[in-house]
Amino acid sequence: MSENRTFFRETVERILADTLDKAAIDAAEERRLPSSLYDALVENGITLMLVPEDKGGIGASIGDAAVILRAAGEAAAPGPLLETMLGQRLLADAGIDLTDGLLSLVFVDDSAIPGEGETEWRDAAIHDVPWSEAVSHVLVVARSDSGARLLLTQAGGWTVTPVSDAAGEPRDTLTAASIPVVSATLGDYDALLRTASILRGAQILGAIEWSFRRSVEYAGERKQFGREISKFQAVQQMLAELADHVLASAGITEAAAEGLNASLAAAARSRLGDAADAAILITHQVHGAMGFSLEYALNSRTRRLMAWRDDYGSVLHWRRALAGNFAGLTRETFWPAVSDAGLPGAA
Amino acid sequence: MTATSLHLELPTLTPEAETLRQEVRAFIAEERSSGRLPPPHRIGLGFDREMTKRIAAKGWIGLTWPRQYGGQERSALERYVMNEELLAAAVPVGAHWVADRQSGPVLLKFGTDEQRQFYLPKIAAGDLTFSIGMSEPESGSDLASLKARAEKVDGGWRINGRKIWTTNAHRAQYMIVLVRTSTVEGSRHAGLSQLIVDLAAPGVTISPIISMAGEHDFNEVLLEDVVVPDDALIGKEGNGWNQVSAELAYERSGPERWLSSFRLISELVDVLGPDARAASLEELGRLISHLLSLRQLSMSVASMIQQGQSPNVEASIVKDLGTKFEQEAVRVVRNIVSAEDLISNGRAERLKALLIHAQQYAPAFTIRGGTNEILRGIIARGIGLR
Repeated sequence: MSENRTFFRETVERILADTLDKAAIDAAEERRLPSSLYDALVENGITLMLVPEDKGGIGASIGDAAVILRAAGEAAAPGPLLETMLGQRLLADAGIDLTDGLLSLVFVDDSAIPGEGETEWRDAAIHDVPWSEAVSHVLVVARSDSGARLLLTQAGGWTVTPVSDAAGEPRDTLTAASIPVVSATLGDYDALLRTASILRGAQILGAIEWSFRRSVEYAGERKQFGREISKFQAVQQMLAELADHVLASAGITEAAAEGLNASLAAAARSRLGDAADAAILITHQVHGAMGFSLEYALNSRTRRLMAWRDDYGSVLHWRRALAGNFAGLTRETFWPAVSDAGLPGAA
Repeated sequence: MTATSLHLELPTLTPEAETLRQEVRAFIAEERSSGRLPPPHRIGLGFDREMTKRIAAKGWIGLTWPRQYGGQERSALERYVMNEELLAAAVPVGAHWVADRQSGPVLLKFGTDEQRQFYLPKIAAGDLTFSIGMSEPESGSDLASLKARAEKVDGGWRINGRKIWTTNAHRAQYMIVLVRTSTVEGSRHAGLSQLIVDLAAPGVTISPIISMAGEHDFNEVLLEDVVVPDDALIGKEGNGWNQVSAELAYERSGPERWLSSFRLISELVDVLGPDARAASLEELGRLISHLLSLRQLSMSVASMIQQGQSPNVEASIVKDLGTKFEQEAVRVVRNIVSAEDLISNGRAERLKALLIHAQQYAPAFTIRGGTNEILRGIIARGIGLR
């Protein structure tokens, strides 16, 4: 790991340890953002890390951001961290100047959006919007004929219908009879969605890794029939199977974050889907009834896995996309395509 | 080791490895177009002495070994790349596979210079096939319980015992057996040794075991007062268990653990064509995601071995995942073949044959080379549970 990346990770891990406790995670379910966490992240430039240096950011890579979000996922950090990090980058790419505030971000594939040059969005409705009441602006990335459009709106201009995700974090429905927009053209919609998906994938991976580690520890602490349950082969076999999932999904997710290409990113989210399913089943089975209580910390990762696994493209979406990249190949061209897809930088 | 110490490094392939990949692809294309390598109707390694000789002529057997023993002194990652290309194309490599992967490296690591000089150049030339004499009728997963013995005689060892599931014993010149040579109080693992047996020697009886996939690869090998010379001993007397443990690690993470039924998937993709139902794409996409993640792991382990690390737990994970992937692939192909109606009424006869053979073969994936339950025991120990 590069020196910069190690520094970013250690900084964020320290911030998370200093500012995020169980009470702060639980408060997110009452729509309260862990403000001391976000104050520290903003102060240390983490929320602007993907913005180029000449625009006031750090100019970090997607791989760097993935390392940060993996740590945030391990810690079950609530709030719009991914949305702000990627949103700030998209604004910079679009040439829109904004303060260093927090942002919400949604992708819409099939909604009616205002035409190019229009400054007003009538009869607007967007769904599953993270933390709209805690941010200054809501960004919408919409598929368009030429690729993608970025729509910038003031969060306060929307009418909010509160909705929560499986982790209890806000994912609201926003409506407006009319709302002012600033819009810009961005590149390829699918490439932007891939970037968002792999960053969410990093959070999923972090939550899986925490749950795995905690379950291994718990198996060594919990005694039944006079010995630690880690001594039972049935428990060992389950946790070994989960170790398989953890390592396999970590390898493909890291590769996708480094050499973001269509197949690696799709493969990572597909693989993480299976790993998340296995993690939820196995970590709870190992914990027995204990893991099912709201008081015990396991559920804060479990429920985030439930909220995140189909985010920015569902598991099935990414499977169809991945297979689509190979459909129509022959028995002789399929392997070279698989082989090339596994190498960072390939298309 | 604990749960936090599972470790991976992003593999980086050198330009030399990429050049070799293109050379292997060119070789395969030439073999295909000449008709010597038709697209297969069966899965598995295949045994073809002539193919092994042609591969040897390229310098691709013993690729990483020192030049003085017939090798090319290339890197482990280059060997990895070469192997995945050969396996994905189903090139029959069975005549040299075990010698290249296991027997040769064991001789390199533990053998005498005379042993290396004698065996390794012949393996690299494609002239020698080795088999492995580990399992016995009463010793499968519990290998250390083996009963075969060798007693010291003047100038050598006299071996008695019975080895089973011995792949290619009927085609090989040599077998490396693991036998008990001494008894050490309180340790089952001490007192085992590895000996090289000439399979043409008096007292060796090889009987076929036909698999349920209809093939004669396995054998039972009876050793009755087989005398081998002193220089048949590999490494130190009594150190066989440690030597074998190192050897088994070589065989866990290679691409053969997830590419042995690859032709079934590539044939499906070919027959399926560009227009498939969403549900079929979802199943196929899931399979490809597992394939890409396995390859990433397998390359990563090869890369770590190249750097002198010993990723034994990670290698066990590759084998556990890879073998389950291969069984899953059969299920997925069967479902898509059915959903898309690909093989009825005599269509796609090659896909049909591959599917039948892969189904017959699939139960062996999670058994051969160490059952997955044993592997998961190794993983459990690695993450600190045992």
